[in-house]
Amino acid sequence: MPRETTRALFMGLRAAAMLLFMGKKTTLSRVPATTGWLVLLWMSCPALLFASAESDALRQELERLRQRIDELERRLSVPQDNTVDAREAAAEDVATPPAAEQALDIGGALRFNYVWKDFDDGSETRRGDAGLDLFRINVDGERNNILLSAEYRFYAFMDTIHHGWIGYDFETAGQLQAGITQVPFGLLPYAAHNFWFGIPYYIGLADDYDTGIKYVRDSGPWNLQLAVFKNAEFTDSAELDRYSYDPVTTGAARNEQTNTLHARLVYTARQGGDCTHEFGASALWGQLYNKDTDEDGDYRAAAAHLDSRCGRWNLQLEGGRYEYDPRNPAGVSDDSITFGAFGGVHEVAAEGSFGVANIAYNLPVTLSGVDLVTCYNDFSVLDKTRGGFENSYLNTTGCAVGIGPTFTYIDIIRGKNALFLGDGSLAGDGDNRWATRYNINIGYYW
Amino acid sequence: MTHSAQKQQPAAWQRRPVACLMSLLMLAPLLAHAETQLTMASWGGAYTRSQILAFVRPYHSQTGIAIDMVDYHGGLDELRNQVRSLNFKWDVIDLELSDALRGCEEGLLERIPVDALTPPPDGDGITEDFITGSLTDCAVGTVVWSTVIAYHREAMGDAVPQTLSDFFDTARFPGPRGLRRSPKANLEWALIADGVAPERVYEVLETGQGLQRALRVLDKIKPELVWWEAGIEAPRLLETGRVVMTSAYNGRIHDAVANRGEPLAIIWDHQVWNIDLLGIPKDNPRQAQALDFIRFATAAEQLAEQARHIPYGPVRRSSLALLAPQLRAGLPTAPDNFANALQIDARWWARHFERINGRFEQWLQQPVGVPRRLPR
Repeated sequence: MPRETTRALFMGLRAAAMLLFMGKKTTLSRVPATTGWLVLLWMSCPALLFASAESDALRQELERLRQRIDELERRLSVPQDNTVDAREAAAEDVATPPAAEQALDIGGALRFNYVWKDFDDGSETRRGDAGLDLFRINVDGERNNILLSAEYRFYAFMDTIHHGWIGYDFETAGQLQAGITQVPFGLLPYAAHNFWFGIPYYIGLADDYDTGIKYVRDSGPWNLQLAVFKNAEFTDSAELDRYSYDPVTTGAARNEQTNTLHARLVYTARQGGDCTHEFGASALWGQLYNKDTDEDGDYRAAAAHLDSRCGRWNLQLEGGRYEYDPRNPAGVSDDSITFGAFGGVHEVAAEGSFGVANIAYNLPVTLSGVDLVTCYNDFSVLDKTRGGFENSYLNTTGCAVGIGPTFTYIDIIRGKNALFLGDGSLAGDGDNRWATRYNINIGYYW
Repeated sequence: MTHSAQKQQPAAWQRRPVACLMSLLMLAPLLAHAETQLTMASWGGAYTRSQILAFVRPYHSQTGIAIDMVDYHGGLDELRNQVRSLNFKWDVIDLELSDALRGCEEGLLERIPVDALTPPPDGDGITEDFITGSLTDCAVGTVVWSTVIAYHREAMGDAVPQTLSDFFDTARFPGPRGLRRSPKANLEWALIADGVAPERVYEVLETGQGLQRALRVLDKIKPELVWWEAGIEAPRLLETGRVVMTSAYNGRIHDAVANRGEPLAIIWDHQVWNIDLLGIPKDNPRQAQALDFIRFATAAEQLAEQARHIPYGPVRRSSLALLAPQLRAGLPTAPDNFANALQIDARWWARHFERINGRFEQWLQQPVGVPRRLPR
């Protein structure tokens, strides 16, 4: 009930009761003298009422009113709020109402891409090409500790799920995710700052998403992730319309990953001020099923990484090794494995070592409307062990600019034996030449 | 009145007793309204409670004049409406300094001469008895409450933070910090910690370079910052270990220590203080009575009494002298605590808040370090 209404009711009831119970002393202030005569006049009214046949019923009603008055008087006499916030809260500029609980948070992005390839005469003649990169929808939610996260992407040439999992948050005891979830390996969430990523992504060892169960637990400076993946994103290992790179059964060597175990342990050290250093180790082992021989080979990988953040600087280092031991049919080389994603396939050396060295600086920005400018140089290398394949290199220099809901990556991507850069290959069938892409990706994110 | 008439009158009342009662009930609010002699607008909660106990009830007892307390949330809109329409619902208002100054400039408040106030018990000058800035042309200060730095005693090692600079020194005092999500006080502190003299803070802050300088200081601790919005959050951040130091309202920390026994402590160094004042609406027909009430309410004893019910510092030095040393030591206006206190420049903020807050919010969105997760 509004305070004014309560108060008016209180006043009305109280005055009526004073007329009828003038002998009772109340704790409220006195009746002004100017009204005294009126009160005396009205005092005669209850006397007449009591004399009537209805007086008993009225007396009971008035007694109830009197009790109600006492109650209201008690409540209104002194505020009972003993918290020390009323005055201070009033000084807080705007009382922001708590956001209504929202079960699902729906987001997305619309991105366009411009690219100029120095290894493509047509691209040079046309001064590059621009077009739709993707339209994507994200859904994230949590209710009663049950989590949901999913993202679906529409590219010009395919559409696919990026990730999709449900989970449970055990709060201090960790979190469980089941579905298509990010593989816990190496630098997370990405082993690069740029739009184009680095070599680990193209060999399935960074920003990879597979189907399985993952357990994540934080304990002070420690973070532990354990996972079991039944297979890659899809049960159909020949499906190439996928976001992350995995061995596929489309190509000469028809292998697919199954039953993979992952472990990743990270320790974050704080060094006074605003420096943190994350030291991590990752390992995986899984079966590699060959569709032609119906036999299981295996594959394994391990990596160590450092993710050091000091003020505006970020240094990322990662070194790792992997090996695929397929059970290919006779006549099929074991030196490379066929990987696929984004509607295509490529060969990856079956054994190798990789390295990552990324450095980034977040510029202090004073330009109105510009929220973020981060510039970086991301370098990665793949040293292929088998088959005498030439090394692969990828170096990206660029900046990411955030302006309100828009985000733009401006990258110069140079690579040798790298995917999408000339006839580069991550195995041994490439042109072994440096090539450059100039790439601008503009996106609106919500 | 004739004898026959006397016979007829009771008969009529007896015939309509219910109607008679109803008429009385309808008239009753008018009667009740006439009882309230003055109406005072204040901020509600424990603050209003402290006023009732300190000077509203005593004034009623002493004069028989009741004070009707109503809540409001600051600003001048309602006061402006009442003054312009001459329809006065309020006779006394508890004001923020910025509203008191602006209300006076706009002619919404009566002038209050200093000599109308109660002299200090020792007979010294009234002006000297009030702390600087607490007497204005149209309003009289009552209490000071402040924004301070507080820390968790158990989160500290051998070294105990004592100064504002310690808040910004994450090397000596590592750990997350809490700040209110507002540029007010934070920017002033940042500049002071960077060597700007307190009296020049607003002059420096007014320039783009000065603002940038303040934000650069905050940049240094930004990765460690946890932002709070409601006053209750600040002590909770300390109590739950989310931060080792935080800005907070002094009353909140006092409450956590006194009522919950939390091991929290206040650093009074460069506390940023606010003041509350009492004023009278212009042309209010009860202004003489209102002035008498203000004279009573701002007397040394009454302000001291208010401090016994809420940990805000009385603006009168003579009031402090009436308080027990232990209580006095925990108030913003205790001499040791108040030595280098900075009064928030409410007028300056009124002029610049929109511009600076826009820049501040933009700065908040800008990470200092390279974001761990850029949009992909």
